[in-house]
Amino acid sequence: MNFTLVVWRQDSKEKEGKFVTYNTTDVSADMSFLEMLDYVNEGLTKKNERPIEYDSDCREGICGTCSCMINGQAHGPLRGVTTCQLHMRSFKDGDTIVIEPWRAKALPVIRDLIVDRSAFDRIQQAGGYVSVKTGPQPDGNSILIGKEAADKAMDAAQCIGCAACVAACPNASASLFTAAKVTQFVYLPQGKPEAKTRVMNMVEQHDKEGFGNCTNIGECHAACPKDISIQHIAVMKAEYIKASACDDT
Amino acid sequence: MSATSPNANSTKNYNRFNRIISSSVFQKVTMALTGLLLIGFVIMHLSGNITLYFPDGTPFNKYAEFLASFGGLFYAAEIGLLVLFLVHIVTAIQITRLNKAARPIGYKAYQTKGGPSRANLSSRFMIVSGVLLLGFLVLHIWQFRFGPGVADGYLVEMDGKQIRDLHRLVVETFQNPVFVVIYVFAMIMLAFHLRHGFWSAFQSLGARSPNLHNILQKLAILLAVAISLGFMGIPIWIYFR
Amino acid sequence: MPQQALKQAMALNSKIPEGPLKDKWESHKFNIKLVNPNNKRKHTILVVGTGLAGASAAASLAELGYNVQTFCIQDSPRRAHSIAAQGGINASKNYPNDGDSIYKLFYDTIKGGDYRSREANVYRLAQVSGNIIDQCVAQGVPFAREYGGALSNRSFGGAQLSRTFYARGQTGQQLLLGAYSSLMKNTQAGKIKNFTRREMLDVVMVDGKARGIICRNLVTGQIERYAGDAVLLCTGGYGRVYFLSTNAFNSNATAAWRAHKRGAYFANPCYVQIHPTCIPVSGQHQSKLTLMSESLRNDGRVWCPRKKEDTKKDPATIPEADRNYYLEEKYPSFGNLVPRDVASRNAKEVCDNGFGVGATGQAVYLDFKDAIKRDGLNVIKDKYGNLFDMYKQITGEDPYKTPMKMYPAIHYTMGGLWVDYNLMTTIPGLYALGEANFSDHGANRLGASALMQGLADGYFVAPYTVGDYIASEKFKKVTTEDKEFVDAEKEVKAKTAKFLEIGAKGKKTVLEFYKELGQITWNKVGMSRTEAGLKEALEKIPKLKEEFYSNLKLVGSGEELNKALELAGRVSDFFELAELMARDALHRTESCGGHFREESQTPEGEAKRDDKNFSYVAAWEYKGEGQPQALHKEDLKFENVKLAERSYK
Ligand SMILES: Cc1cc2nc3c(=O)[nH]c(=O)nc-3n(C[C@H](O)[C@H](O)[C@H](O)COP(=O)(O)OP(=O)(O)OC[C@H]3O[C@@H](n4cnc5c(N)ncnc54)[C@H](O)[C@@H]3O)c2cc1C
Ligand code: HEM
Ligand code: HEM
Ligand code: SF4
Ligand code: F3S
Ligand code: FES
Repeated sequence: MNFTLVVWRQDSKEKEGKFVTYNTTDVSADMSFLEMLDYVNEGLTKKNERPIEYDSDCREGICGTCSCMINGQAHGPLRGVTTCQLHMRSFKDGDTIVIEPWRAKALPVIRDLIVDRSAFDRIQQAGGYVSVKTGPQPDGNSILIGKEAADKAMDAAQCIGCAACVAACPNASASLFTAAKVTQFVYLPQGKPEAKTRVMNMVEQHDKEGFGNCTNIGECHAACPKDISIQHIAVMKAEYIKASACDDT
Repeated sequence: MSATSPNANSTKNYNRFNRIISSSVFQKVTMALTGLLLIGFVIMHLSGNITLYFPDGTPFNKYAEFLASFGGLFYAAEIGLLVLFLVHIVTAIQITRLNKAARPIGYKAYQTKGGPSRANLSSRFMIVSGVLLLGFLVLHIWQFRFGPGVADGYLVEMDGKQIRDLHRLVVETFQNPVFVVIYVFAMIMLAFHLRHGFWSAFQSLGARSPNLHNILQKLAILLAVAISLGFMGIPIWIYFR
Repeated sequence: MPQQALKQAMALNSKIPEGPLKDKWESHKFNIKLVNPNNKRKHTILVVGTGLAGASAAASLAELGYNVQTFCIQDSPRRAHSIAAQGGINASKNYPNDGDSIYKLFYDTIKGGDYRSREANVYRLAQVSGNIIDQCVAQGVPFAREYGGALSNRSFGGAQLSRTFYARGQTGQQLLLGAYSSLMKNTQAGKIKNFTRREMLDVVMVDGKARGIICRNLVTGQIERYAGDAVLLCTGGYGRVYFLSTNAFNSNATAAWRAHKRGAYFANPCYVQIHPTCIPVSGQHQSKLTLMSESLRNDGRVWCPRKKEDTKKDPATIPEADRNYYLEEKYPSFGNLVPRDVASRNAKEVCDNGFGVGATGQAVYLDFKDAIKRDGLNVIKDKYGNLFDMYKQITGEDPYKTPMKMYPAIHYTMGGLWVDYNLMTTIPGLYALGEANFSDHGANRLGASALMQGLADGYFVAPYTVGDYIASEKFKKVTTEDKEFVDAEKEVKAKTAKFLEIGAKGKKTVLEFYKELGQITWNKVGMSRTEAGLKEALEKIPKLKEEFYSNLKLVGSGEELNKALELAGRVSDFFELAELMARDALHRTESCGGHFREESQTPEGEAKRDDKNFSYVAAWEYKGEGQPQALHKEDLKFENVKLAERSYK
């Protein structure tokens, strides 16, 4: 297969970037998207050109490291997968593929397709935990949690922190990510004691980081490789409203 | 809040209040509440304006007079409405500007992934339909609310009282095809605005059952079409009858 | 350089406490010296790696009051390779009431490890396993639950008991996010500082103790120095020495290897685990292999055609009689659930004999037809839906309709830095936790035990034993301006400069070298090993390494983000490690666990141990550039289990 790649190249946070076009030939349909980039990079290296830098680690859709906007879609055309899980058989021979980094003020580009997602860590720091000490705890089965609640918590907990939701959101909002983190603890009894401070602190941090506000477009859900629904955003809002309505903190 | 020191209670409350009102969630709650109230107004406005479908002006004028008869209360309601609009608009502009700033460099290519996405013309361009509605409103209020009244000869006798002949004003206005077109266009904008806005307001307020979600989606389309057609019919009807 | 460390480590003292097995840990904890709470905050602990082991250790040490700094390659601590574990985590809770106990888990682990692990360590692991579950539940890890609300268990990876806890197919992720949330909590509290996108490139030794590390800032390329009172290496396994493995792309041996070069012994490098159910290789371009959870073997049946001419046929057309369910036939009581090494070797055997299927002939079938017939499509979908989707995504084939194709792949490395009972390496103050150490799995790891070990080390062992060290030592004040730091930094910089110098003139990319090395290790030091093959590897690896140091191609500089340069450093270490692995494998003429020497097998083709000569840990001591490592033996004493031939018939 042959492709024309239009790739965003940017040296560093401070420098300005631009699109560069590459023609690539003899790509195998079985290659993953990242393997295709590896292949292109081998060629560039041999021509003494700087390879296209992109992020990846697990290459199986779980670590949330890979992050490419492919033809205007976060993680490419398929639903429920990450960039590393995308294979070239999903494209047509001769296609032009535009490859861009996630774009958001809160996710500045570090180089080429790599962005700085440390804002997510800070949102988590603001309250994405249960304040237990490490060390011996009461028996696991001393807290009973119905299967339904456990499943719901798990639905939210699946978030891999890839930030595709931000990338896809027309408002560059990280509401889906933040909501997933908040709601995991909404369904679990362990999360109850800190529920109010958690949601308020996490939302505040979300805003501070410079993410946009959610206008309920739902593109985030479509782009989320873990199919996390915007119902979670509604839950987060309800939690927030509850928390602000009664001040017993 | 855990982050603040326990001593100064009033500072704490002040901080808490400030944090809440400056949060993104609160902004959206504001949008949703003002939006829903505005929808309420629009529905009431339409039910009153239905009387414009009668060729005879009396019912409509009566209705207008009935409203005006509340006197101070009516002015208060108008001011309330104005505040609703202002809050709605100011917050909308704030949110939109913030959201623009959240992505300083846009994409070369951008397309929706479909599936559960609600991305469509209506949801993506709320600010556009909103601003156009605002334009319409300015014209509309200038035309009707502050348009020619009793002093300018638009008067009619009813039950022995001389009142403003609003019906004549409306009918005359809609003899002009330019206004008809503007109104029809504005009502299309209204439909777009409500198609996303109605459902969105509930989501912003935290309504969360999947069933409700589906019902609201359908209801939003129904409401948008019904309201918009209801209004739109008036200028068309008057122009062609 | 490593002189001082050497002297101290000579004896290879495993420091196993006295007393009966079941009291060792308790009495050890009792005897441990305590650090005055007010003094704790005066001590800084450097934790390299934020996987299960690192994140849990960092959080626990911070809770105790120490200053902690963490380092990881990824952009967030949450993305460490542990995130990828699918199947589950073991604990001897005995919730299903099927007769599990600490002793049973201990026994299974020792046996599973083919009697090549330390009794005391394994027993401790089994002892704290239950606490891990409690800890994780308290943190809000959403484990699978029964309808009644109790924790759900399943049997996993060759265990006949249901002792595995899981969270959908994403147990590692959920456990890591739990540890990460504790990490974040303590970060917020100011007790931890996280340095992400950093790669540790050296340990700094002051007076024979580990007192700091040198890192490359992967964004700016700056070389940075960090000082502390103890260094914990939680840097994971070295499976990527095979290039193709189920490990994440950035997994590496660099941290452990550079520590080895500073005096930490490397133990049992030849013990690696092959996972039987991975998606087969599809071509040259392949950059990693994807594991399909072992749980699939609970319901899937493994088979290959009985006739060679059937191997290229559509499996649906092969009649039942012509299918060879070789695991069920050979191992009637364990069937498809035999341990990983056994399942893997059998797959290799049938493929080597020409019965492999798929384009490359390097695959066997894993068939769900009967399970779907028995339980219904919905039950199977419920259990394995995610995995089936993943398989379809990668291969383009639908496992609901046609059997999956599977082939073994490198998955885990049991070998690692040698540590004593306290998890300290032979360098004082340098600890190794999680997959980076060699300690608990002997020659083969049971499924769902790595997560358990990582968290045991991090939550329940290191926080005590590191405290003991801090309390017993006198710490001279060091700063990153000290000569030792400056010198170590110089060495690191010189290494980078050398790569770039060669890189400007060379012709072959890092990836090409990496893949070539992988070919050698996989073919010669992989699933089954022979003397001739290992000797061949020992010739080929140094040659390739030599070429690497003269013909490597690199672009760009060291003062910027440069992933190829990062990789060059890792590959350079893999060369040296691969050599040591081959030497270790060559010296160990027995077969045991994951280490299969073709020369040492039973008439039925099973691994044959040689307990008389090889019942020891092989710990290798670095002797300098170009010198062969020296072998030290730690004898393994079994006082509580009887050595038996591992049989799964
Ligand atoms: C696909 C897959 C599935 C698995 N499934 C299971 C399972 O179901 N059950 C089970 O028990 N086990 C499973 N395992 C094994 C288990 O996941 C690992 O053994 C375990 O997670 C290792 O944890 P760790 O904390 O030791 O290291 P890792 O999680 O590998 O973390 C290593 C850390 O070290 C950092 N690091 C490495 N080198 C450097 C350096 N030079 N400088 C700075 N930082 C560095 C990395 O950034 C990372 O943070 C699985 C493994 C794989 C590959
Ligand atoms: C008849 C008048 C109007 C009605 C009934 C109305 C109604 C609504 C409703 C119900 C919402 C959804 C709120 C939410 O998602 O929470 C909304 C959103 C919005 N409105 Fe209006 N609106 C009106 C006029 C305007 C005007 C004049 C503007 C323009 C400036 C405007 C701009 C917006 C914008 C930008 C949004 C989206 C903001 C967001 O979702 O956060 N609207 N409107
Ligand atoms: C064809 C449709 C419409 C007709 C014929 C119509 C008619 C009128 C008339 C006659 C008035 C003057 C009332 C008075 O002065 O007491 C009025 C006022 C007003 N209308 Fe409309 N209207 C229409 C659509 C709309 C729409 C769609 C909106 C909102 C988006 C709207 C918002 C208003 C407002 C805000 C006022 C001022 C209310 C007040 O101050 O009392 N109108 N309309
Ligand atoms: S919510 Fe989905 S898209 Fe957003 S970070 Fe999490 S996994 Fe990625
Ligand atoms: S796309 Fe954006 S607007 Fe909200 S629903 Fe998703 S965050
Ligand atoms: S590289 Fe891990 S999700 Fe893509």
